[in-house]
Amino acid sequence: MCAFPLHVWTIILAFRDFSWVTERTSAWDAIGVISYGMVFALIESLAVFLVAVLLGFMVSRKFDEGRRIALLSVLVLITALWAMASQVYFLWGISLPEQMMRFLAQSGHPVRVLYAASLALVLPTVLIPAFLVLKSNKVFNFVRELTERLSLLTMFYLVLDVGGLVIVLIRNL
Amino acid sequence: MEKMNRLLDRREFLKLSGLLSLSYAIPRFGMVPRASQPTPGGQNVLLVVFDALSAHQTSLYGYHRQTMPNLDQLAERAIVYHNHFAGGNFTTPGTASLLTGTLPWTHRAINYNGTVDEPYVKKNIFRAFQNHYRIAYSHNPLVNTLLFQFTGDLDEFIPRERFFLASDGFIQTLFNADEDIATVSWARTIKRKEEGYAYSLFLTHLYEQYREGKVANFKPLFPRGLPNAGGDNYFLLEQAIDGIGNRLVVVPQPFFGYFHFLPPHYPYKTHRDFYGKFERDGWKPVDKPDDLFSQKKSTKTLLKWRIWYDEYLIYVDREFRRLFDYLEGSGLLENTWVVFTSDHGEMFERGISGHITPVLHQPVIRVPLLIFEPGRETREDVYTPTSAIDLLPTLLQVTGQEIPDWVEGVVLPPIAPTSLDPERSLYTVQAKHNEKYAPLTRATTTIVKGRHKLLYFFGYDDLVGRERIELYDLEEDPEELNDLYLARKEIGAELLEELKAKLTEVNKPYL
Repeated sequence: MCAFPLHVWTIILAFRDFSWVTERTSAWDAIGVISYGMVFALIESLAVFLVAVLLGFMVSRKFDEGRRIALLSVLVLITALWAMASQVYFLWGISLPEQMMRFLAQSGHPVRVLYAASLALVLPTVLIPAFLVLKSNKVFNFVRELTERLSLLTMFYLVLDVGGLVIVLIRNL
Repeated sequence: MEKMNRLLDRREFLKLSGLLSLSYAIPRFGMVPRASQPTPGGQNVLLVVFDALSAHQTSLYGYHRQTMPNLDQLAERAIVYHNHFAGGNFTTPGTASLLTGTLPWTHRAINYNGTVDEPYVKKNIFRAFQNHYRIAYSHNPLVNTLLFQFTGDLDEFIPRERFFLASDGFIQTLFNADEDIATVSWARTIKRKEEGYAYSLFLTHLYEQYREGKVANFKPLFPRGLPNAGGDNYFLLEQAIDGIGNRLVVVPQPFFGYFHFLPPHYPYKTHRDFYGKFERDGWKPVDKPDDLFSQKKSTKTLLKWRIWYDEYLIYVDREFRRLFDYLEGSGLLENTWVVFTSDHGEMFERGISGHITPVLHQPVIRVPLLIFEPGRETREDVYTPTSAIDLLPTLLQVTGQEIPDWVEGVVLPPIAPTSLDPERSLYTVQAKHNEKYAPLTRATTTIVKGRHKLLYFFGYDDLVGRERIELYDLEEDPEELNDLYLARKEIGAELLEELKAKLTEVNKPYL
């Protein structure tokens, strides 16, 4: 689950860059950019996995192993979704509604208000699913099945990582 | 008072630098060491280029604002060229002309981040100085693209990241054989700042914190933000100047040094000492009508950018003075020719800001040139028009070396044994969107001959009849306000014919 969202995001953005790089240099260089991107995504996935493992030690042992893994998977997925949302804001050129901008400007502390509002929005989206995974069998089973299905897709991404690594090695020989 | 300010800044700078973990970020001018012993008979050459420095906005050349007071003083010991023209209007063609002694239509580094044509990889200034220790550095990635081509003729090529405050140099080190693409991918992966998004979802946040932490202490010194070479490639000019100075006193002599600093190129981020210096001086430049190729910048915007640029120039001026004084203190100047120049200029008029424009008016192509001869104590002014391509043969001449036959420029006065023809034709070329290996069909070229300058635009979609011609008398009208092409038909026709004949000649290999 650590690798899945990171790879999806990298693939989406790297392929968006493909034509941009090809126009300026060559298709082989564009493949190079994607390959490095995949390798960096693999490294980031390992780092996130490590953090998730460390966090796992902080979850009470009264929950069985399956639930603890499901909890961490949900946390990683939701955090990744929010990280994507923060970038989509720039990617699609979205701006806050006029009224909200005016409210922020009039508040006197726009940054603080923005952070507080973000926290109020993000916190329930993390805490509620986490609570449900631990307490509801239905949600737990859903997360477990989702994780299993995504794991299959993640294997495909890992194959792409290996391909990326090979291309990076060839380019650096 | 000014001296006191400088001392305080120095102390503050040292104090702040001490907080950096990068040891090379700490400026080390202070005690000036004696330079290494020169080889008898061999003189050093130091070519210092400040990117996008327009003669038009330099006080030495009559600009209203005192943008370069130190240069004004140093000029009393230099040969000062008043009508010196760049080879092109942006870094790639302008720098390639300096480094090859040929015009852009010959070396073909005409496109953005372009490279010189294969034969010129071996026809460059570094090869010409093969008896010298050749060392080069630039903040500017476009210059580095050219320097990479010439690495075979360089004894020392200082990596660009060496003088950045926070460096991603490990990527270049790790992927040394593929550093261009590795760097692009790394930037797209980790640097959210440039576009607001990156391939990485989490590491980019940690990376930003790390980078910001590295430069945070310097931010108070630059109220408009830290000077940068794109994105978060922050640098301090002080650091590069100190690093270069310290290196030059220890490298073997004779040396040929090419140092191309990014300031005063955009973004114009001056030091706190000069911030606001011209903000309220009330001066306004000559009002000029918008050009056909106007970027639609308002007068207010142009005035703002001009002020920011002018205030950046004083920072450049102070740092060049520091380098000069340091080299003098080390004894190097006794045996070193120092050249101060630029690769192209900058403009803030006619609705245009910067230099990426087909419009080759004086602010974009007229650049400063000062040559400091070892031991010279008097000033000599040269008003004859000169070109960037003349620098290479001139520097070879002063160091007693043979001038290769591929060089298109000539030895400059007063160094040349015979006087320069004041009616010699000088050219500048802008062909950024023309194919590299194709005849020039979409370009702007200028020909300067004596007091007249003709601009010839051709192939642009915006042009009715696909061409535009303007003629100016630079002596009577240095601001280029009155187009004389219709009023002085004969001169205009003669210059145009000569320019077109030249274009036919240079296009021949690509037909």
